[in-house]
Parts: sequence; C-alpha cells; structure tokens
Amino acid sequence: MRLPIQINEQSSEPLYQQIEVQLKALIVSGQLAEGTLLPSIRELAQAVKCSVITVKRVYSDLETEGLVRTRQGTGTYVARVGEQERDRQRLAGVMEAIDEAIVAGTRVKCTKEELNQLFKEAINRHYGEGG
Amino acid sequence: MEERQAIVFDGVVQSRSSFKLGPVTLGIPEGFITAIVGPNGSGKSTLFRMALNLSKPDYGRITVLGNEMGGEDEHLIKQRIGYLAEGPFKLDDNLKACDKALYYSRWYPSWNVNRYQELLHILGVSDNQRMSKMSKGMRRKFEFALAISHSPELLLLDEPSSGLDPIAWKTMIDVLHRYMGQGGKTILMNTHIIEEVKRLADYIVFVAQGRVLGMYEKDELFGNWFTLYVSGEELTPGRLAELPGQCGIEAVGASSFRVTTGKALDAEEWCRLNGIAISSRQALELDDILAAHLQQDGLGSRVHETRGLFT
Repeated sequence: MRLPIQINEQSSEPLYQQIEVQLKALIVSGQLAEGTLLPSIRELAQAVKCSVITVKRVYSDLETEGLVRTRQGTGTYVARVGEQERDRQRLAGVMEAIDEAIVAGTRVKCTKEELNQLFKEAINRHYGEGG
Repeated sequence: MEERQAIVFDGVVQSRSSFKLGPVTLGIPEGFITAIVGPNGSGKSTLFRMALNLSKPDYGRITVLGNEMGGEDEHLIKQRIGYLAEGPFKLDDNLKACDKALYYSRWYPSWNVNRYQELLHILGVSDNQRMSKMSKGMRRKFEFALAISHSPELLLLDEPSSGLDPIAWKTMIDVLHRYMGQGGKTILMNTHIIEEVKRLADYIVFVAQGRVLGMYEKDELFGNWFTLYVSGEELTPGRLAELPGQCGIEAVGASSFRVTTGKALDAEEWCRLNGIAISSRQALELDDILAAHLQQDGLGSRVHETRGLFT
C-alpha cells in the first residue's frame, strides 16, 4: 500500500516530524481504518526516500500515542482510535495555535478581558456577526 | 537498545609506500544499509578487502559478523557474506558465465539456484556465454546476481552500479530493497552516485585520504546542511562568522549574504535571536556536504577548486 505522504526536502521541519504529522492525520481522520496494515518500515522508507531510522522513530512515536500497534513478526497496524482520542487529536493542533496566540498576547501585556474581546472579534470576522 | 555491529574496524592501520590507511575505527550496524562516500583513492575498496581478509592491516582488529577474520573457520564466515568486487576478474574472461555460477555455487551451501535464475531473468542476463564476450554492464549484472543468490547476511558492494544503464540500475535498487526486506540483512556499499545514496542508505560514512571524516544517519545529515540567504541592517561577515555550524560566507549584495551551515536548526534560531532575516533556504546535496567536510578537514582545496563551491 502506498501512503499519500509527501516530503519537502527544503523545509526546516525535520523529516520524521513531516511524516509523523501526515500519518497521524490519515489515522485520526479515519482515512486509514482501524486494523489497516501499514507498510513495513523498509517499504515506507523506500517510498518517501528516507532512512529506516526515521520511519522507526515515527512508528514508535505513534505507538506511544496509541495510534498504531506493532505485532511481532507481522507488522504495524492502525489501532482503534476512540471518539475522545479522535477529538483530542483533531483539536490538538487548534489548541496549540490558541495557546500561541495567548502567549503572543501576554507578551504585549494584554489583559484577560482584552484577549477575550480579541477572540470574540476574530470569531465574528470568520463566522459572521451573531453566527 | 544496543545496536549490533555487522563489521567492526578497530584502530585499523595499513601502511604502503604510496598510501597510508587509518587509523580507522568504524562500526557498520547490523540490519541497515551503510554507504561509504569519498573521493577516489581514499581507501574505500581497501576497507572492503580488509573486511574479507583479502588484504591485511598492519595494526588493529577487524570483526565480521561477530568473528575475527583469519581463523580456521574463516570460510564459514565468508559463506554468510556476498561480495561484489570493484571490477571483473581477468581470470574469468574465458569462462562461460554459467560455469562460473556452477563453481561459485559449490562454495555456498545456501546457494539458491531458483533465486539465481530469477535474478538473471529480471536483470535480463543470459549466462550462456563467455564472460569476455559480455558487455561491461551485462557482466556487472551477472556478478551482482552471483553475489546475492545465496541470500548472504552481509552484502559488500563495491561501486555496484558502475556500468549499469538506468533501467538496470533501478532494478538493482529494487532487488536490494527486497533483499533488506527479508530482515536481519546488512549492506555496506561504496558509491559515487548521489541518487543511489539517497534511495538506499540509512547511514553515510565520509572518508578521505585513508581516514573516516564522520558517520551520520542520512536524514539527520541532510536535515542539518543548508545554505541560507540572510540579510540584516549593517550585517557583516565578521558577525556571521559566529553563526552555528558556519562553513562558508559569500556576499550577495549590500548586507545580504549566502551562508552555509552544518547545523541548520541552531543557525536559524541564532538568526532569529539576532534579528537577522532569512530570505530563503536551500538543502545541500550530498556532494556539497562532502566538499564541506573535506574543507573543514583541510583537504578541500582539490575539490573546491574544481567545483568552485566555496569561493
């Protein structure tokens, strides 16, 4: 199986991170169903032209997060991703961005009220007033 | 988890009137593909020959698949190794390829004739002819099939693709990937082809003038070496000299510079902290990274004069 993973060699983002983010998204979004057998480490490394060390790292990170399971001798499978976990993973990136925005706010000494107001304004801009 | 080593060179030195190799201390990890890269005449083939005890070190120890070579049961270790030498053996010229294969197979208990035939088939080689009558590429493909048909644990490939056409080259890459897919296999290769290293290697070893300049995990190596185009108010080369991993500064305009670094992440962080803007970035190719290593080691003049890299 060929995974739709694309690598940008010119990016400053480390290779394992690029692969990890994309593979995670495929699993959390349900594009890779529970029980799907993932390519072997060597196969995936060959497909994205990286070293097996990088793929090993990706698989072991995802295993720690409970997104894949490795069965000795047979390979690496997509694990069951519960609703809660799916939401957590889905929102993790959003949460991170909001955290960053708050840090940016505190850097210029915004008060809690000011930040609240800013978020409200931003939301209204995107979804329309009263939406 | 400790990694096992397929080959260990421990303080190996070989002195000849015209060339000194070593001291080399180097471990080739089991289960991975390691590519040795370096200019001609840096001692790459000698390392291969020493691993097979075809050439002996004056000092140091070499361990292969857990055993020291040169003992009584050396042939038992060699049965677990496949070796593709740098060039053809002159003595084979009058042999028919199929006769050489027959002779070869007697030395390897694990010889798999079906696998051999399959390899000849996918490589498009007929072994029913004298080896002197084969074209260079054809003979190379045949030798390659021979080296791998007993499914060795360790494969030593000395410039495997020399003389191969692009299609045969691609087939060889596929065969090697499949070979590694069986698990527990190790490849040590030596090559000048950048694309070959990119497609195959897990680890890269740089050698020059008989010494090892460094061993790196491939993706880490490529992720570390970048050329950055930077600019900042009243930016001077003197200030940029402090950029982490810096190894080459070139002015490209008023207070704009092109800098090469071997520590891309640290360098970018340094630029951010010092208010220096990065307008673009470019990953270095393997040959450029090797040239930078040679230059850092004071061996660079020969290379960068001809390539004009760091002028």
